[in-house]
Amino acid sequence: MTDKQDKKLHGTYAEFDAVDTLLAACARVRDAGYTKTDAFTPFPVHGIDKALGIKPTRLPWIALICGATGTCIAVAMQVWMNTINYPYIISGKPFFSMPAFIPVSFELTILLASFGAFFGMLVLNGLPKFSNPIFTDPRFDRATDDKFFLYIDAADDRYDRAGVTKFLEELGGGYTQDVYDDDSSTSSPKAIWVVLGSVIFLSMIPLLLVARMRVTTSSQPRFHVFFDMDFSPAKDAQMTSSLFADGRAMRTDVPGTVAIGQFDEDLDFYTGIDFDALTRREPVRAAHLVRAIADEESDDAETAATDESIETADEPTDAAAEPEAAEPEVTGAPEVEDDTPWLEKNPLPITMAVLERGRMQFDIYCATCHGNNGRGAGLVHRRAQRILAGAWVQPSSLHQDTLYADVYPDGKMFSTISNGIRKMAGYSSQINARDRWAVVAYVRALQASQNATLDDLPVDKRDEIRKLQAEVKQRLEEQAEAERLKAEQAAAEKAEAEAEAEAEAANGEAQAAESSD
Amino acid sequence: MSLAIPQGLDNTVERPGERAPLVLGDSTYHTITESVSQIAERPPSAAWLIGFLISATLASWFGICIAYLIYTGVGVWGNMNPVFWGWPIVNFVFWVGIGHAGTLISAILYLFRQDWRTSINRAAEAMTIFAVICAGTFPGIHVGRAWLAFWLAPYPSLNLWMWPQFRSPLLWDVFAVSTYGTVSLLFWYMGMIPDLATFRDRSRNKWRRMAYGILALGWSGSSRHWMRYEKAYALLAALAAPLVLSVHTIVSFDFAVSQVPGWHTTIFPPYFVAGAIFSGFAMVLTLMIPARSIFSLEKLITVRHLENMCKIILATGTIVGLAYGTEFFIAWYGQVAEEKFAFINRALGPYWWAYWTMITCNVISPQLFWIKANRTIPWRIVVISIFVNIGMWFERFVIVITSLSRDYLPSAWGYFRPTWVDWSMLVGSFGLFFTLFLLFCRFMPVINMAEVKATLAGQLHHHHGDH
Repeated sequence: MTDKQDKKLHGTYAEFDAVDTLLAACARVRDAGYTKTDAFTPFPVHGIDKALGIKPTRLPWIALICGATGTCIAVAMQVWMNTINYPYIISGKPFFSMPAFIPVSFELTILLASFGAFFGMLVLNGLPKFSNPIFTDPRFDRATDDKFFLYIDAADDRYDRAGVTKFLEELGGGYTQDVYDDDSSTSSPKAIWVVLGSVIFLSMIPLLLVARMRVTTSSQPRFHVFFDMDFSPAKDAQMTSSLFADGRAMRTDVPGTVAIGQFDEDLDFYTGIDFDALTRREPVRAAHLVRAIADEESDDAETAATDESIETADEPTDAAAEPEAAEPEVTGAPEVEDDTPWLEKNPLPITMAVLERGRMQFDIYCATCHGNNGRGAGLVHRRAQRILAGAWVQPSSLHQDTLYADVYPDGKMFSTISNGIRKMAGYSSQINARDRWAVVAYVRALQASQNATLDDLPVDKRDEIRKLQAEVKQRLEEQAEAERLKAEQAAAEKAEAEAEAEAEAANGEAQAAESSD
Repeated sequence: MSLAIPQGLDNTVERPGERAPLVLGDSTYHTITESVSQIAERPPSAAWLIGFLISATLASWFGICIAYLIYTGVGVWGNMNPVFWGWPIVNFVFWVGIGHAGTLISAILYLFRQDWRTSINRAAEAMTIFAVICAGTFPGIHVGRAWLAFWLAPYPSLNLWMWPQFRSPLLWDVFAVSTYGTVSLLFWYMGMIPDLATFRDRSRNKWRRMAYGILALGWSGSSRHWMRYEKAYALLAALAAPLVLSVHTIVSFDFAVSQVPGWHTTIFPPYFVAGAIFSGFAMVLTLMIPARSIFSLEKLITVRHLENMCKIILATGTIVGLAYGTEFFIAWYGQVAEEKFAFINRALGPYWWAYWTMITCNVISPQLFWIKANRTIPWRIVVISIFVNIGMWFERFVIVITSLSRDYLPSAWGYFRPTWVDWSMLVGSFGLFFTLFLLFCRFMPVINMAEVKATLAGQLHHHHGDH
């Protein structure tokens, strides 16, 4: 007891066995005027707040404030991030879409309110508090098992050690004990610090490495997480491969086979050039062309050297790249002497089926610019004229003298459709060769139709056309007649109305004159 | 006073006007402490060791599969055009659903003053946390580049120069599941603080005392502390109750807000929540019945507890069955061709086997609980609850896989095939779950001793008052 007197006295407690006796004792202690009291129980005892005079906690207010803060943070965060700082349209929702912000606002409200309730409880209770003098007595361990302790603090005004002990014993406390400062060692075991220290040290290493990487630069990527995404195993052109005996990554066609859509051995048919004539006249150019076509086939590319070599004879190669305004649409003017021996005649037999096919392809691919009648006023042109106004150059009309078969051979037109001209793109990738020839045939038919007389038609069709003509003429006349009648009627009505107005005015004057009498 | 608690009382009989006691036998405060603490104090039993060994092996295999996935890429899964959500999302929704019973038992039953929850809520809450851990793993690795999953967080990034997209249900999901995990953890941990203090005060070993001492945060059992603690617990319960309902609602938005036939329906939120409670309670029963017998807790987890849970399963299972019917009705009544097809395709399409497994397990098997014997004989309950677990996994499979594999464009239809990694991860996630649960059983207070003691105090008080 001697050393105990040197230490600070905190208070005195008594042990109870049952809830009932504890509650009775608490009430007695409260009635005796003690205020700095507490009870320690293994479970929350109903009614002890009243017995000890414990005031209600302000914890719900803390939770409420935290919850409201959570709502405000969530709404402000979402509005800032998705409406103000980084607005972008997604699923047609408005930038400020409150309904979509509700779930996250709800979750953050709950989260922060829960933090408020939990951490608020800990702070108000002064926890964590690992060293507590009341734990000194091993008997107190049963406060979390099956015993109840009533405690009177030494700071209470009415506290007096002997008196309090006696009073507690009177109340039924089977065992009383004074609480002094804890004299056990205050230092923690070294092992804890060693383990904690090494964990912190080790966890710093990756963080430091990351930090270092963030502030320094590197010419190489630091990691290749997916190696085969950074370094594709697929081979590029001209690369070597260990998979094949010849070491080539690019494979040639299997001998004796033709890939689908590549059966174009008839050069005339695929270029529109009479190769026999060309070979006779310019063997070098012919050989060059043949080689270019062969290369193109192996590359599977549609617009390669061929186009250029053909175009060089026909048009400036880079015409398409030049500004449109600087390139007026002068399809007719032969700026360069074209000596290419174009095929004069369509290699397809001209039948109704071929023409229908040509019409179909023309209407799909050509009519948008050139118009269904080929006069160069397609939908694209009409819209472009509206929105590009001066900068737009009308697509060529196909009904110019320079495009008729006598000066613009079928083969040349085929080549133009295939490879494009000026701002018109080549259509060889969209329309196959046979259909391109069909389009040529249809264009010729179109040209003929626009300058045809009734005598050009087969005899049996003429009557039909005459009938149609008569019908149209009659309808036009009827229309004109109806309009004329309408105009007459309107004029008559107008005259009548004027007459009435005049009569009324005269009437009014007469009445005025009468009344003035 | 002699009428304390009758020995060997048949507590399955619910006499009118008299409730069966929640704590059986000649329990005192001390015997409650003893029976719960001995689980953590005695050396582990053979059953525990074997169970732990198996589940830890499976959990390690799960870890290896995740490492393999991250190293190789998501192609190791069966996720392929058109089913890009595959099993990872099936497993995610399954586990999140499992995680609903814990907080529901704790929070909602607490708010309704259902005292019978006291001896099961702790384990159910632990189950919630572990299920949420399993659930959170799947979307985390499903993002493809798992090491960049933190991009989901709204932090001011100097590399991205952009913010997350808060108008997407997938981001709501991130907030909902992480909030749910955090609040459930707080709720669980806070509930354990007094019991951890009990463990601390019973420890004779210095290290053990120190470990539990740190976890108990210096809890002394002061009445002032208890008063604030109870208030905080009530607040957390009140906050967690709407949270539970919101989580699966938001998970269902992942589907319902999209336009995939079979997903785009307003019934999803209530239907998902009912399904989650249904599966969660089934999982609680699947775990608690063996644990109860292994750790001899029959006096604390009584047949009445089991029967009450069976009744909840019966109720929610019927709601789920009604929802299946309603979906079909609306698909017909709405007259949207794709929607009608989606539902006919579920029942009669290539995944008919999954659909009818689901119907058998989820709609038919819980109806067996109408028979009293099935609600009171533990092994029967376990069998039925396992069927419910299977059925609920298949429900998510049916929703995710059948809708995605055949949506608007028949040319894009496909058939989903899981790979061995999919299978491993499903089994492995169970391994992780059971490992965590067994560790919890071994080292933490499995039953809320303080609350059970309070219930016992109320019971003693009640009997006392009768005389």
